[in-house]
Amino acid sequence: MKIPWMKRLLSLYGLLFLVFVYAPIMVVVVYSFNSHPVNMMVWKDFTFDWYWSIFGYPTQLNEQTLYVESTDQLLAAVKNSLIVASSTTAFSTILGTMTALALYRYRFRMQPFYQGLLYMPMVMPDIVLGIALLVFFVTFSVKLGLMSIIVGHCTFLISYVFVVVSARLAGMDDTLEQASADLGARPWVTFRRVTLPQILPGVVGGALLAFIISMDDLVITYFIAGVDSTTLPVFIYGMLRRGVKPEINAIATLMLAFSFIIASLGLYLRARN
Amino acid sequence: MARRGDSRRLATLLTPATLFLGIFFLGPLAIMVVYSFLEPGLYGGVEWNFYHWNYGRILGWADGEWEDFDPVYVDIFLRSVRLAFTTVVITLLICYPAALWVSGLSARWRTFAVFIITLPFFVSLVVRLFCWVLILRPSGFLSSVLMGMGIITEPIDIIFTETAVLIGMAYVLLPFMFLPIYASIEKLDRSLLQASSDLGASPRQTFFRVTLPLTLPGIAAGAVLVFIPSLGNFIVPDLLGGAKVVMIGNLVEQQFLSARNWPFGAALSVMIMLVMFSLIIVYLRRLGRAEVRA
Repeated sequence: MKIPWMKRLLSLYGLLFLVFVYAPIMVVVVYSFNSHPVNMMVWKDFTFDWYWSIFGYPTQLNEQTLYVESTDQLLAAVKNSLIVASSTTAFSTILGTMTALALYRYRFRMQPFYQGLLYMPMVMPDIVLGIALLVFFVTFSVKLGLMSIIVGHCTFLISYVFVVVSARLAGMDDTLEQASADLGARPWVTFRRVTLPQILPGVVGGALLAFIISMDDLVITYFIAGVDSTTLPVFIYGMLRRGVKPEINAIATLMLAFSFIIASLGLYLRARN
Repeated sequence: MARRGDSRRLATLLTPATLFLGIFFLGPLAIMVVYSFLEPGLYGGVEWNFYHWNYGRILGWADGEWEDFDPVYVDIFLRSVRLAFTTVVITLLICYPAALWVSGLSARWRTFAVFIITLPFFVSLVVRLFCWVLILRPSGFLSSVLMGMGIITEPIDIIFTETAVLIGMAYVLLPFMFLPIYASIEKLDRSLLQASSDLGASPRQTFFRVTLPLTLPGIAAGAVLVFIPSLGNFIVPDLLGGAKVVMIGNLVEQQFLSARNWPFGAALSVMIMLVMFSLIIVYLRRLGRAEVRA
């Protein structure tokens, strides 16, 4: 049995751990409402003005400082991110699910090869994959743009969907499929009426994961984004490199809220099943 | 039981992903390896001649005419390995007690704790790093708070040091260490701990002789998952290390986006890839052996 004081010490540590995880995020959120125009870390007043200014509305602060270079660029980056993330999600969810079904359902000689092929993109360092794709696209004169980003994201997101769907398949009841086949249902009907409803939570979970990773990807996109196809993380990274500005607080807070909502939704769906 | 049409269905399911990954994943990696053996062109670009001095420049057999051996590359490589290893140690020390704590909670709280610990993992990397830029820079949160409390009089300058890079790296990679360790503690057979203490072992003995060895697979998995992304990382050293803490990832990025020596950059990334592969192979071998023993 553990001694009580050790348990208490462990609980105390746990709380400290949570503080370490959340405090940095809270700093950004809190200071995104700070109206001090010069020193971001000196608290002056509560304001929503940074939020208004990133969307291009004139505010008192905005007139003094004119920090955001271009709201249009920011919105274009958001739009690009959404286009990329939704296309990649659709494509990688379909391919990932198909592959998971194939590897789960059938036994064949190339199986270990496929396992390796599907795990490799997940462990490949981002920078290696990013420059490999860049070299590839340039060698074959593929124009860098949204299309190249979508292709690039799919190379590793198929694997993520594959893993999530495979986990779901592993816990599935095979007898239902057999019953359906024995009762004369054609394979496609069995898939749509029996298999798909059972693996759907896995598919949705995989899709959400793919969406969020695609939205957040910085390194790979950084190398293969063309001049006019900047995504949101790349845009913010560029802004950060040029200097820390109060608007970034507001943008970061909005992104935090967005990620939290999507992630909570995904985890909620998983918990419900 | 193989039925007719099975192999056709298998082919239908597998072909799209096979083609896609073959062309857009294996293809680019192969071309990158080829590039690393090509001659850099004078004005960026490449000449299609076999050229091994790219590696010579890094490892020491440069021709001395076009390519000079500069020990700085070895230094940067070793520094990256050292920082990546330190990140593994830091995340391990932070996460192990945390995982112990979570596994000791009641079932309901456990799920909730895992949820809130993994939640920040879904937040964009650049946002999580921005948090630390805001905290660590001289006019940042940490200095302001410490100065406000009268502990320091001058702003402290942590940003653009190895410490800052290690903090940022550990922070963004935390979940990769936490989850495997937590999973292995969860799998732990509680009756073994009971048996150990019943047989008179002290809590410390139980921990070092039973808990720790049995959770070693989780630690190994976490170590691999943290080491690989930290080794090639260039975002963290770029934002928190500045020009002072250059890692191999920054070097690769420079070769591609400013120095325009693509073959050399490709050679550097091939080296990152080799380190990754050797780690994975060692890991899988050990894992295989551990499973045989169990």
